[in-house]
Amino acid sequence: MTTGAAEPLRLRGAAWSAGGRAIVGPIDLEVRSGECLAVVGPNGAGKTSLLRLVAGLIEPSAGEVSWRGTPFVELTRQQIARRIAYVPQIRPSRIPLTVEQLVLLGRYPHMSRFQMAPGRSDFEAVREALARVGLEGLRERQVDRLSGGERQAVFIAAALAQEAELLVLDEPTTHLDPSHQREIARLIRTFNRQSERTVITATHDLNFASLTADRVLALRSGSVLACEAPARAMRPELLERLFEAPFEVVRGGERPMTMLELDG
Amino acid sequence: MRSPRAWVAGAAALWLAALVVIPFLGAEVIYPSELLAGDAAISSVFWKLRLPRVLLGLLAGGALAVAGSSLQTLFRNPLAEPYTLGVASGAALGAVAAQQLAPPSAELAIPVVALAAFLGAGSVTAVLLGLARSRFGFETATLLLAGIAITLSCSAVILLLQYLADFTRTFRMVRWMMGGLAVVGYREVLWIAPWALAGSATLFGMRWSLNQLLAGEELALSRGVDLKRLRFWVLGITSVMVGSLVAVTGPIGFVGLIVPHILRRLLGHDHVHLIPAALLAGGAFLAFSDLAARVVIAPAELPVGILTALVGGPFFLWILIADRGGSGRP
Repeated sequence: MTTGAAEPLRLRGAAWSAGGRAIVGPIDLEVRSGECLAVVGPNGAGKTSLLRLVAGLIEPSAGEVSWRGTPFVELTRQQIARRIAYVPQIRPSRIPLTVEQLVLLGRYPHMSRFQMAPGRSDFEAVREALARVGLEGLRERQVDRLSGGERQAVFIAAALAQEAELLVLDEPTTHLDPSHQREIARLIRTFNRQSERTVITATHDLNFASLTADRVLALRSGSVLACEAPARAMRPELLERLFEAPFEVVRGGERPMTMLELDG
Repeated sequence: MRSPRAWVAGAAALWLAALVVIPFLGAEVIYPSELLAGDAAISSVFWKLRLPRVLLGLLAGGALAVAGSSLQTLFRNPLAEPYTLGVASGAALGAVAAQQLAPPSAELAIPVVALAAFLGAGSVTAVLLGLARSRFGFETATLLLAGIAITLSCSAVILLLQYLADFTRTFRMVRWMMGGLAVVGYREVLWIAPWALAGSATLFGMRWSLNQLLAGEELALSRGVDLKRLRFWVLGITSVMVGSLVAVTGPIGFVGLIVPHILRRLLGHDHVHLIPAALLAGGAFLAFSDLAARVVIAPAELPVGILTALVGGPFFLWILIADRGGSGRP
């Protein structure tokens, strides 16, 4: 309560249930400005639901989610979209658009229905976003003809073009090879540190979480087990409680690297 | 690929060509010199029969193509259109029922038939929406099967009503069900124009939101698209357009399938270009199809609905096979 409206995102007892079944929460959480938060947890822990709650895609069934002190329910969808960009994990298998067209879609929250065409500032934002992810050369390419890594980068570019303060990414590195994982991780880190934007990711990759995040939120059965800096969160005891599998720390320090123990 | 704007201009040129050229053509060709000579019979054919018929074709075809384009994007399905989804059948059932319920001597006014057609179309879209929101989702096969089931059910009820009707009425209904532009004077044109144009303009107003659907509903939602409202309005507007149209022309199939499909290949999926191009090219397509229907078995005429269905059926199959059931691409 001390920092008040300065906290960009605050969840107060926020919970979401579907069909009478509690999926996530109640959760209390404050995400600081410029922070990078990684949500980890087993399948079905409610990571995606938590992200959708945070991005304002679903309304909490109890409690409240607020942006700088204003509850989401008092904001329009467009107002939320100007502040929060979301990159979902599940997307249509076929998208009949070029790279530039797809990234331009990110400008929607800034466009008026009376606008006949995207304006110069829109194209400028698209160009900048594509340059950031290093895909300026693929502007005219059909999205369907991109590799998995390029695709993910284009969706992130679309979110960057949205010029939101908070970027929410669901499983940004799943299905990517190590070099693309590295690129995405560097992209997120640059965006987070240089532009001082806030980032929330959900991931199964514990080392990715440890490398990129300021805090790691361990989610299990919809409840927060811990929300701490990687050095404290990446403890074998906590991870074992979280995943019900034995872990060992193979490298300590500020950003510990962990590994599954097969014979534990 | 030429620029999308060039294709829209091309569609406009085609539209103008249809408007200017087709009234002169038919089983009997009218030469401009004859028209200028001031023969009363010829100018009557030109101004009172052919011109309104071309205008109706331009409006109806445009409305069908715009409705088809919007439904395809909304349902993320390249095969969706008023006819294949059963919306046109629902409208037809409404119109037939209204005529059947009226006293035998009465000729119902267009707005009354149209209101009944709209109620029919609206009920079908409500059923589709209900199905899509249930656990079946917007899955291609389910949606098309639902469309077929709805069409079959409506046809059965229409047949029943026709069976119960007296002979002259039955004949009129059967002809009307074939879908055609033959009935027309300016009254019909003036009736359809505001619905077709206002409907298209409103859907064009939703172009940015419709574009968002191309990248999936989750992203659209996250960018601030009010999906519930968008669905409601797209389905409501297309129902009004189809209802007002079907009341006059009967159900005309596949215009809303063929034209948007070709346009998407030529100028892409951006609704900023797609919707105006559909309005223009759809109109030109139906007007030229009607010209073909008027001359192909001259001196007799074919209802244009039969012609579009003859072309559209195989076209539908071709998309189904080439697209492997759509897999979610509009």
